[in-house]
Amino acid sequence: MNIYLLQVVNGVGIGMLYFLLAVGLSIVFGLLRFVNFAHGAFYLLGAYFCYQMMEWGSNFWLTLVLVPLAVGAIGWLTEKLMLRHVYDTAHEFHIVITVGLALVVQELVILQWGPLGTNVAVPDVLQGVVMWGSFIYPKYRLFVIGFTAVLAVLLWWVLEGTRLGSAVRAGSESTEMVSLLGINVFRIFSLVFALGAATAALAGVLAAPIRGAEPFMGIEALGVAFVVVVVGGMGSFGGALLGGLLIGVVQSVMSTLWPEGARLMIYIAMAAVLLLRPNGLLGRKE
Amino acid sequence: MQRRQLLQLSALGALPASMGLFQSTFAQTSGAIQFGCPVPMSGAFAANGKYADLGMKLAIEQYGTALKRPLAYTLLDTEGKPATAVRKVQESAQQQGTRFFAGGILSSEALAMGKEAEKAGGIFITTAGADEITGADCNAATFRWSVPTFGAIEQTVRPLIDLMPKAKRWYTITPQYVFGDGLLSAAKNIFKEKGIEHVGNSYHSLAEKEFSGYITNAIAAKPDVLLLLNFGGQCADTLRQAVSFGLNKNMTILVAWASGLEQFESLGADLCEGIYFGAQYWHTVDSVLNRDLVKRTNDTFKANPNYSLAGSYICTKLLIDGIIKAGSADQKAVIAALEGMKYQGLTGEEEVRKADHQVLKNYYLLKAKAKAKMKNKDDYVDVLSSGRSFLPVDQTGCKKA
Amino acid sequence: MKNNTHFLLALAVVLLMPAFMQSGSLASEVLIFGLAAMGCNLLLGFTGLLSFGQGVFFGLGSYTIALTLTRWPLPMPLALLLAIAMGALGAAVVGWVAIRQKGTYFVMLTLAFAQMFYFIAYTATGITGGDNGLLDIPRPSIVVLGQTLWSLASPWQFYGFVAAVFLFAFWLLQKVSRSTFGRTLLAVRDNEERAGAIGYNLKLLKLQAFVISGAVTGLAGALHAMMTGIAPLSNAEYHTSEMILVMTVIGGAGNLFASVLGSAFYVLTADWLSSLWPRWLLLLGLVLMAVSLWMQRGLWGLGDSVWRRLRSKLEKMHE
Repeated sequence: MNIYLLQVVNGVGIGMLYFLLAVGLSIVFGLLRFVNFAHGAFYLLGAYFCYQMMEWGSNFWLTLVLVPLAVGAIGWLTEKLMLRHVYDTAHEFHIVITVGLALVVQELVILQWGPLGTNVAVPDVLQGVVMWGSFIYPKYRLFVIGFTAVLAVLLWWVLEGTRLGSAVRAGSESTEMVSLLGINVFRIFSLVFALGAATAALAGVLAAPIRGAEPFMGIEALGVAFVVVVVGGMGSFGGALLGGLLIGVVQSVMSTLWPEGARLMIYIAMAAVLLLRPNGLLGRKE
Repeated sequence: MQRRQLLQLSALGALPASMGLFQSTFAQTSGAIQFGCPVPMSGAFAANGKYADLGMKLAIEQYGTALKRPLAYTLLDTEGKPATAVRKVQESAQQQGTRFFAGGILSSEALAMGKEAEKAGGIFITTAGADEITGADCNAATFRWSVPTFGAIEQTVRPLIDLMPKAKRWYTITPQYVFGDGLLSAAKNIFKEKGIEHVGNSYHSLAEKEFSGYITNAIAAKPDVLLLLNFGGQCADTLRQAVSFGLNKNMTILVAWASGLEQFESLGADLCEGIYFGAQYWHTVDSVLNRDLVKRTNDTFKANPNYSLAGSYICTKLLIDGIIKAGSADQKAVIAALEGMKYQGLTGEEEVRKADHQVLKNYYLLKAKAKAKMKNKDDYVDVLSSGRSFLPVDQTGCKKA
Repeated sequence: MKNNTHFLLALAVVLLMPAFMQSGSLASEVLIFGLAAMGCNLLLGFTGLLSFGQGVFFGLGSYTIALTLTRWPLPMPLALLLAIAMGALGAAVVGWVAIRQKGTYFVMLTLAFAQMFYFIAYTATGITGGDNGLLDIPRPSIVVLGQTLWSLASPWQFYGFVAAVFLFAFWLLQKVSRSTFGRTLLAVRDNEERAGAIGYNLKLLKLQAFVISGAVTGLAGALHAMMTGIAPLSNAEYHTSEMILVMTVIGGAGNLFASVLGSAFYVLTADWLSSLWPRWLLLLGLVLMAVSLWMQRGLWGLGDSVWRRLRSKLEKMHE
């Protein structure tokens, strides 16, 4: 199989994880107009909670369910107790408070689990690779693609097909209207923020067997999430998917075309999109 | 009212200082000999810093005094940033009279600190890997304990080629910066000499965490051996991802610059099984000093020494021994005492080469064992071979004034 | 009288530090980052532009002074001016592109630029030294007509130089902020649409703010490189931009002296805390959260409210 085809497939694998990482950030921004610099911290917590639960003997599948719920709850509390109070202030405080939160979480993780990273085992049934001619690909990464695809469909259904989803989408247009319609906007805010945290944590759990769990993974994840959200369009679910896949494929293909520039290309792509299509590929006009 | 008083106060205290006449004085000839441990305690390399601190502490407490003066040290958090490192070395030299520094985990901070130590009239000894430290950027104040790129490659690639004469195709994954290039060019020289086919190389940036693309490149090139020239967290990520792609099953993997025990701990024995690693140090090395260190570390910290701890320990010990040998804490005297010093080190007999201040010591080729074969929780590897390989001084680019 | 208060406060800080601090390098660092924070404040506090790109200008200043003092030697004052110019130029480029966006998109664009510059600096090893950075930057003495006026060799001597430059820059920036231009910027910050409706050329104003900010930040970068003797890659890193932003917010937006407070607080506290506890970033994070929640006017606002309360108490006592 041609190397570029291989890299595209690999890129899709990376991209799906990037999508899951970014979708929460995008939706939170779309509804709350809030840039959450602590998004990477939820991803970090997801990976470490997964590690800890498995150390306690639980299996991977259970962590896939429980960890996002736990981190989602933390996100919900964070929004309700803290972040809500800065909505009215200038947006630099949104950024500064979440930067502070990210630092606090990172250092707490180090305090609890030490500064050295650790391995998270791939579940037994997903160990090994699939081979198809000269194409070798880890079973686990295929699982990640499949799982995130199912999750994407689920999320899309929630956003398009349920009342909560309609409220979120309407709220992205105008929170005033939504509250005039009698919906408790604040409760939706908390729920959406929790959803954002939960999806980030889920991305962390899925990434842990691939990348391991280490205290500074949140910073890198945040950088990637920002790029994906900007490229795809802030507030757009479809944009997060398209953006994630695009960035994943670009990064992977660049590994062959221009290896040392693979990371740089991500940011060039981001800048290019911001210049040519300022609202992202699928974003709406502000 | 208050403003005026403020101005009066400041006028009183400030004039001499702002004219540069301010001089702080400290007891240099009596009182404690001050050491500094400039290592990253926060930021991405905090793990290395933490153990380096313990290593210096062990050495200082072991000696207690030298030349009838007590030994003391300050931990300086460089945050992994060269500018912070330089500033803290400057400050420590000014405020506490520190002249002896052992640290510098990252090459960029070590290079910068070496220069600052020279300016401050002190001595800096490091375990960082960049060739320039005892090469193009060498100076009278800087010493290095670890083996640079030439030796690391000589003692891993060469023995492995001899071990596996049929493995003719090698693929490399290299971090794109001076250090990575140093490892790569040393490797390429051996490839040429031994008739190895270098089937490809993937450069990557120092910030990279996703290596599947580079691994895919490697698979497509169908090598017999995959040579990893990155280190630390990136090396762990590449290994982890390479094993997930099954590379350890259909080719040999060699990690030229491994971090030692802490790396095996974070990766786990299952992942590492059958992989070859190059290392500066291993706790089972049979030398008098190493056995002593292992005992001390187990007594004090209930654990075996890892490379960060051992490196910091020997660097500190070298400084103290140099001071004792010189009979004084004067910079020039200690440098003279250290130059050419032969001693029993952690890897056996070691020597501080006079011309470039590089310590001549062994580098090890390790092979990771299966989990079932581990005799204790730290018995990750078998030591296959070791040896000393160093570029002759005239080829290192070091021209000390 | 009021006009000079802030300058006098800055002067007080400059004169007090040598009296109370032992480290000339630390004192210089306070002033250097004070300059950088003032540059950031010009964008944030005065124009309402939150820029994550300050590291680009800081890095440009460092690299420029490194190159013009080692590789292509120029007399130091000229080298410094060139570093300022490069900072301004970089800011012009970043600004020109970034101000086409508003709000969060603007922030993202500056972030993208910061990352791109970092990777370019990392790759262009011939010019920037890559990960090693540029080393051996000298600290030439001030020489006029062949006479050495002022040696900068020791940390406190260098501090004197930094202090002089800082005070001059502070004075200049004050003039800028108090001028019509400065007050127009404030109008833009408060209500951009209205300012545009009145007829101000928003793009030009913002660009000018960027250029001045870039110049000041480039100056800070150059002084920093001279102090440490190196122009490291980390000066261009995201973390540097973040740090400068944090100092600005902690100090308080919209007030030049507040940035000096913010810089002093961050530099001194970080230095002190890092010697106590490796996990000092945790405390910094908590401080940031506290400032965002309860102290949005920053340290300056805190000082101001305390001052006001004291004054009203004093006035009550006089009645």
